[in-house]
Amino acid sequence: MAKDQKVRILLGTRKGAFIATSDRRRRTWKISAPALESNDVYHVAADPRHPGHLYAAANNEFWGPMVQQSSDWGKTWRETATPLTPVSKDRPHGDGPVPAGPIIHLWHFEPGPSEQPGRLYLGADPHLLFRSDNLGESWEPVEGINQHPNRKDWQPGNGGACLHTVVLDPRDARRIYVGMSSVGTFRSEDGGRSWTPTNKNVECPFLPEESRFPETGQCVHKVAIDAANPDTFYRQDHGGIYVSHDRMNSWTRIGKELGDDFGFGVASPPARPGIAYFVRLDGFRVTNGHFQVQEWNDKTRRWKLLLKATAFPGRFTVLREAVATDALDPPGIYVGTTTGQVFVSPDAGKSWQVLPFVFPAIRSVSVAGPAAQ
Amino acid sequence: MLEVRYDGWLREFGAPNREQLEAGSLAELLETVEQRHPRLRFKLRDETGQLRRYVRVFVDGSDVSGSTGVTTSLAGARTIDILHSIAGG
Repeated sequence: MAKDQKVRILLGTRKGAFIATSDRRRRTWKISAPALESNDVYHVAADPRHPGHLYAAANNEFWGPMVQQSSDWGKTWRETATPLTPVSKDRPHGDGPVPAGPIIHLWHFEPGPSEQPGRLYLGADPHLLFRSDNLGESWEPVEGINQHPNRKDWQPGNGGACLHTVVLDPRDARRIYVGMSSVGTFRSEDGGRSWTPTNKNVECPFLPEESRFPETGQCVHKVAIDAANPDTFYRQDHGGIYVSHDRMNSWTRIGKELGDDFGFGVASPPARPGIAYFVRLDGFRVTNGHFQVQEWNDKTRRWKLLLKATAFPGRFTVLREAVATDALDPPGIYVGTTTGQVFVSPDAGKSWQVLPFVFPAIRSVSVAGPAAQ
Repeated sequence: MLEVRYDGWLREFGAPNREQLEAGSLAELLETVEQRHPRLRFKLRDETGQLRRYVRVFVDGSDVSGSTGVTTSLAGARTIDILHSIAGG
């Protein structure tokens, strides 16, 4: 059977999940009816090990957070198990510090490596990481990070106490990275048993001048791995844009020349090593009042603005999960806004269109599709 | 015997319109409800056992959600309504 060549944009919104489908050209898109409509969907992730399998972080204002799973590209959904915090009456916990309350929101799914076909990771608020080895039918807390001794100093950010980033090293399934708002990034080398903070040289501009480079407390907004150079990471932090070339042992600020390098999302296309896309924000809206995407080239160490100021004027807001790319070459770039637009470039930023639909406020954008040939 | 009436939205999670149950307290009633309808587990209460913020439980017409909550005694009670809060304006 021919491999599925469709490209699907998976959208998590304030009022459900949507899927826009196209072919490899990515010029015309068919938009699905909404699913999970009564839920605030923070993330929709496809599992590349099991084509058609999707996971949605469905946060219901009334009935709480739910893990929703589909095996048919989102045509039908069912609720699987909900993870429990260490404070739950059903789950005794160890001696480490634990969160004071229940799970507030589910944030981010990360499918495991191909050699662990049942493994999923799930990040949640308040600063929690869970692991499943049966595709979400049950969850275990990753206590090494959830009860990290440093936890007593962790605070929530404006978006909550979210563990929003989980990155796996494609060469070694034991090496895992997480990013948490107002806490920073951590790395595990032993499959999640122990974790080391990895925030060296990342500035906290909101702290007093003499203490702006702490071990933790950085408000990381999102991190992307460079798939072809998995020691390299691109980081959008509250305090600016950074790159690391040594598995997050240290960071170098690269955004300063942009002037204001605040923002939320970042994505790095697998087919173009050394490239990362960022959307600069002035506070919570795009800088200078027009939609823009900045491309960082890590080989030339130069920035390039991918859109003219006249292309899409407006005061758009783009959240941390709402910048995505695909695996094709040229890579597609996909950006969702809180006012319901999805900007799409099928050719690495040369041309752009807005999907012909106004969605509810967009929380997340991710892409499922074929790889470059 | 208590008459328990459910919010229509809860049918999505397997709740009936209404049913007859016995319990001495609201916590005990919710344990029974969750055993009978497992998909309601963690919908009405979070994993610490407390009522979710926007779940409202009325005992014989009185909202106990923000006062005695799950510790409410149901001795002598006849009707329990389990609803979600509604805001508007």
